[in-house]
Amino acid sequence: MPRPVIAAVGASRLGRTALPGRDLFSVAVDEAFEGLPAPAELVGALYAGNQSERYENQIMHGTLLAEWAGLRYVPAERVEGCAAAGALALRHAVTDVRNGEHDAVLACGVEKMTAGGTDVATASLAAAFDRAIEQRSGVTAPSQYALLARRYLHETEATERDLARIAVKNHRNAARNPRAQFGETIDVDTVLESQPVAPPLKLFDCAPVTDGAAVVLVTSAETAAELGVPAVDLAGTGAAANNIAVAERDMTHIEGARIAAERAYAEAGVTAADIDIAEVHDAFTVSEALLSEAAGFAPVGTGYQSHRPPAERDDGWTDVALSTSGGLKARGHPVGATGLLQAVEAYEQLTGVAGERPGDPPEGAPSSPETALLLNEGGVADAVTVAHVLTAAPEVGR
Amino acid sequence: MSRDRALDAEHPLTLPGFFDALADGDLLGGVCADCGQVLLPPRPACYACGSRDVTVAEQPREGTVYTHTAVHTPPPALADDAPYTVAVVELDGGGRLLGRVDADHDDVTIGDPVELRVREPTAAEREAALDYEAAWPVHLFEPR
Repeated sequence: MPRPVIAAVGASRLGRTALPGRDLFSVAVDEAFEGLPAPAELVGALYAGNQSERYENQIMHGTLLAEWAGLRYVPAERVEGCAAAGALALRHAVTDVRNGEHDAVLACGVEKMTAGGTDVATASLAAAFDRAIEQRSGVTAPSQYALLARRYLHETEATERDLARIAVKNHRNAARNPRAQFGETIDVDTVLESQPVAPPLKLFDCAPVTDGAAVVLVTSAETAAELGVPAVDLAGTGAAANNIAVAERDMTHIEGARIAAERAYAEAGVTAADIDIAEVHDAFTVSEALLSEAAGFAPVGTGYQSHRPPAERDDGWTDVALSTSGGLKARGHPVGATGLLQAVEAYEQLTGVAGERPGDPPEGAPSSPETALLLNEGGVADAVTVAHVLTAAPEVGR
Repeated sequence: MSRDRALDAEHPLTLPGFFDALADGDLLGGVCADCGQVLLPPRPACYACGSRDVTVAEQPREGTVYTHTAVHTPPPALADDAPYTVAVVELDGGGRLLGRVDADHDDVTIGDPVELRVREPTAAEREAALDYEAAWPVHLFEPR
């Protein structure tokens, strides 16, 4: 079987921008294909992660983005799974290459979240919840995660201050990441004193609304070697859907995420202890705590320690560095592109590009990471989870 | 598997059937004939074990608060209601259901006993409703 690798990545600027979604995509493609043959000379298929047609009144992102990349007549389709759309697109690209269907597939994600203002963003995100019970009860994305957070704080020793420290850590990481939406560091009081959104969550516990696009070129290792590009192995992929209504799931043990991660570990032949860096779906601070446990990095009830350097975490924790990009929280969260931005971060970490970032790396972060886990969720928490394990492949590229 | 069931809009394994009963004050749950899982609202398949042998039984309307929050930034259609309290309630029959709570958030704690009641949708809720939802009641929880 061909061995799928990431051969190139690109992303637009993240945050409010004047560019429509398709133009954000063009910026990402320009970056990814700099120095490479045009997409039409390489790419056999395209998958486009996109959360909602409400923002720009546009569906058909497979067709549209293929056209804008110059890819006429390739199979192309939009992939939808709310915020997991990006990693679902990546997963399809991985399986296509692995199965020998195509030598190169373009996984894309785009979301133009600011186009309709806050009300459109709120309503679009709420469409990911069960319509009959959840939406009709008036829940929002922050309030759904607040239900998880309230229960997590009830069952563990974690406090609102601990959750705030996760936000502080992720803003600190983002401040070093030139791709991040937020460049400023914050302190715990900034979080604790920010506007209540859904208690116990406050504005700075929440990822922002973001415009952005990202692309990941997945090829066979052979094709990447011919192109002479730095490559990273897509060593494992896993996905799992769980109930759409959060009330019906285990709200403090995120089972779907655990299962998806274990599937990806098994494919890659690694365990949680092997993971050096992880981009987990920290749409809200509590998510990083919950997903640290689901991924097997932290003993049950201690995921909230993800902001601490490894030496200061409880026994049983691994040495993983979490959300080195700044995470959804501070790197930014253009919903359909987020899963691919996680892959962009892992590619840059595992190829060494990220090592050149300004300032001091996070305390305890590995200087040359070799293995990364990506956890991308859609809906509330594990309504759907997609996991990927990436490993450095210095022998493939240049 | 119950292949002889006719899943029309009167059947409680469909949403119209469930909400019709709820409008009359009956909270119907699916109950998996194989593993006993309670399904709220009822549906044709059990998410716990995959069985499609699901019966329907009235569920107790009393329960306790499992977790709670308040919505300060509501969807546009409910802007006038905010902030309002939302909880996941563990019903005495074993199912869990999300709903609004008719109480200030500061007065609600995990473990509080509550009871489900139904009301007619408000004008704003009717405005936001889909065609087929227009007559569906809205459920909420009251402290008891």
